[in-house]
Amino acid sequence: MRRMGRLLVVLALVSLAPAGSAHIVTEAPWHPIAYAYRSAVFLINLRPTDWTLVDRMFTTPAGPDAPGGAARQYLLALDAATGTGHWPAIEQAIAAQDRDALYVAATRAVSQAIRYHLAEAAAHLGDPGTATRTLEEARALYRSFADFIQEADPSGFRDVGLAWLDLASSVGHAGVVTTGTRPADEVAFAAARGVIGSYLIANYEPDAWTPRTTYAPVPAQRLAANPQVEVKAWLPPGSDLNDQDPLPRLVLNFEEQGIDERDLFLVAFGDMLFDSPEVFGEPARSLGLACSTCHNRSDINQRFFIPGISPQPGAVDVDGSFFNPRFNDHRDDALDIPSLRGLRFTAPYGRDGRFASLRDFTRNVVVNEFNGQEPSPLVLDALVTYMLEFDFLPAPYLDFDGRLNDLAPPAARRGEALFQQPFPQMNNRSCASCHVPDSHFTDNRVHNIGSGEGGDGSTSGAFDTPTLLNANYTAPYFHDGSLETLSDVVAWFDERFALGLSADQRTDLTAYLEVVGTGETPYQEFDDDNTPFRLMADELSVFLSTLDTLIPARDQVAADLVLRTVAADLAADASMMTNRAAVAKAYEMADRLWQLRDAIAGGKWDEVQSLWQGYQTLEQEYQAELR
Amino acid sequence: MAEIMLSRRTFAGCCAALALAAGARPLAAQEGLTLAFIPQENPEKLLGDVEVITDYLTDEIGVPVKGYVTLDHAAAVEALRSGAADISFSGALPYVLAHDQVGAEVLLSEVYRGRPSYVARIFVRKDSGIDDVAALEGRTVAFADPISESGYLYPLEIIADAGLIERGGDPQGFFGRVYFAGGYQQAIQAVANGLVDAAGVSEFADLLLSPEQQSEVKWIAESEPIPAHAVIARKGLDPDLKQRFVAAMLKLNEPQNRWLLQHVYAPDGYVETKHDAYEPVAVVARRYGLLG
Repeated sequence: MRRMGRLLVVLALVSLAPAGSAHIVTEAPWHPIAYAYRSAVFLINLRPTDWTLVDRMFTTPAGPDAPGGAARQYLLALDAATGTGHWPAIEQAIAAQDRDALYVAATRAVSQAIRYHLAEAAAHLGDPGTATRTLEEARALYRSFADFIQEADPSGFRDVGLAWLDLASSVGHAGVVTTGTRPADEVAFAAARGVIGSYLIANYEPDAWTPRTTYAPVPAQRLAANPQVEVKAWLPPGSDLNDQDPLPRLVLNFEEQGIDERDLFLVAFGDMLFDSPEVFGEPARSLGLACSTCHNRSDINQRFFIPGISPQPGAVDVDGSFFNPRFNDHRDDALDIPSLRGLRFTAPYGRDGRFASLRDFTRNVVVNEFNGQEPSPLVLDALVTYMLEFDFLPAPYLDFDGRLNDLAPPAARRGEALFQQPFPQMNNRSCASCHVPDSHFTDNRVHNIGSGEGGDGSTSGAFDTPTLLNANYTAPYFHDGSLETLSDVVAWFDERFALGLSADQRTDLTAYLEVVGTGETPYQEFDDDNTPFRLMADELSVFLSTLDTLIPARDQVAADLVLRTVAADLAADASMMTNRAAVAKAYEMADRLWQLRDAIAGGKWDEVQSLWQGYQTLEQEYQAELR
Repeated sequence: MAEIMLSRRTFAGCCAALALAAGARPLAAQEGLTLAFIPQENPEKLLGDVEVITDYLTDEIGVPVKGYVTLDHAAAVEALRSGAADISFSGALPYVLAHDQVGAEVLLSEVYRGRPSYVARIFVRKDSGIDDVAALEGRTVAFADPISESGYLYPLEIIADAGLIERGGDPQGFFGRVYFAGGYQQAIQAVANGLVDAAGVSEFADLLLSPEQQSEVKWIAESEPIPAHAVIARKGLDPDLKQRFVAAMLKLNEPQNRWLLQHVYAPDGYVETKHDAYEPVAVVARRYGLLG
């Protein structure tokens, strides 16, 4: 399963996961100005830049759960209160599609908005309730810059951070009814406000701006001192790399046959790689992206979303400028993430079937889409071997040859007949001609059915026939996710090919698709003992079992990859343990793995063996508490 | 778990205006029941949640139930005093203050991890070399808020239990500098970011850090159990209405209703409780001069 340890939401993370759900890390809501600012700065780094989307970030509220209105309203209010013209400057820059001008105008606006709120708080120190709320708004705006200051200017971050603490400590307290009232300390407040104000003016409202090719709110003085300063990969607000909830259930062929993954070195190593950001290059690696981020448990991730890169949740443009500028095809051609269930039966690969070979497809994902280094033959073999184990969920209504069994309801049976019926409008073919029931509901071919012509910005052309198995859990449908439901799919075919289906026939055909698309226990089930952390810990333990092969073989490179992946994941995922009392034990185990990694890196093979045995003993000892 | 934190956090910033808008329109309490919700991290989401839970309660109790989000705990207590609200969700300390000042009555306690209580802890960075509270002498500390049981008073009790400050005394003499960061998140962040040496906050505060930061902090001492957050009623609320409200809330513990708990601060459930359970908080509040 996907790890969220390196999700780059630095300032405010709140776990909302109820016990029993998959690991979910949710962003705290952003101030509308901060939201628009961070989003816009992220978007202007993309080529081509979607200026309509940039504009929308300022002019529409930040999402259904977002507090407040659109940033534009706040900026207009700021302009009215201070006699400034921030919004017109931002609006003009967007209209002119001028990245530099937008960056400067928006950065200056945020900085001045912070200073304005601090001044307002200072003016209301006689009313601690109002002063506190205004101070909190200033602090919420400061979040626009904070993590970049922390990264690029640690000492400045410390000074400013302490000043925020001074402000919060000196703002006073309104108390509860008649108790606990504390007056403000105006002198301390003014001093701290001065520290923050000076820093902002120097770094976010400079007279001259250092030219830049990439945009991020790095303090100007740092940038002037070192124009090459680099910041870690970051994502805009609203990004969601969490696992899908509910988490899909993984069905592996060898497990169905009762074989232990620990006995299958290549599969276990491939399983680890599938979960490892180490396979990819920047920025995917730093963001913690792995194959499994999009393909949760071999299936899909309906919530995966990065503004500017995903037109809707569950879709991604993997050949844009963000992940690998060299692979940028300059096309707005995001794809709905496909399920990998039954992968060995669903060649060719890629939504348009551009790769006949899974190995070629995988290499392209690693090297071109996600900017990774050329994978070794072992890495490619392992990834492919693991993915070839992905099975479909068992289909309760289908016989071995894909025909409905006796459990299927009558509507589905009528639908099956329609599915088999040739239509002259489809060159005398039936649905089943391409979605071949006894061939996993695909013909493993590419067809142009006109689905690429419909939507705005979609790529016209041919796409490979998707399987219909387990389709109930992979909405939306079509290569671009343009159809919400299976009923929409039926309607689309009816209209596209003028099939003339009656309402009842559409219903029957949909019922058939839903029966074909049904799988047993589609989602992972959790309880108090079988927790998401336990699932993850068991999986990591399997990954580590590859060391039984790699250590004797003294394969430094592969062992290092395993340990980097597992140690980082274990420490990060400890945060989702429900048994909070044992969290320190998970950290202790992670520390042991880093020690083991150091020993391997140093070629101390004698020590390696005893460290590895020691770790296994520890794991055994802590096993029951790791939940 | 973090769920408890959602109800404990004073949300910074942009949401205040929104909460103000909601709070500025106290709903008439003459007919049916009016609930005051204390703000959590996302008041707009909470407004949606309020409706889910008030719809449920309206159906269960058979009278119109309305709800709104207050600016803060103080506003919730004030609403109980003025009659703008009949029922409020409340922390333990605001409750004992409300009990003292406006005669509020505690009805229910939230349950987390099987307990109607939690603890406060002192957190430090793992690489700080600080292993016990004695080592905090002369160091800097961040608390959440001066009127907070787990974010100030109970952490002070930890220091007093160790004999390092006088019980009920001013901690300024022991620590090098005391900050009130404005909330759990700000306090624990200040530790994680190395701005201060320690934070005295709820046991759940570290869950507000990123997973990476969580692995960088540790706790070195914890308090006595603190009674969990409560559901409290205004003085003089009709006993029959009160009883029907309690019955409806207890039905949230039943399997078919448990999903609704996500809309009321996501506890594991509720239990009936009495003032006695909160008396220890009153004792501590008296010690630090918050109660007469």
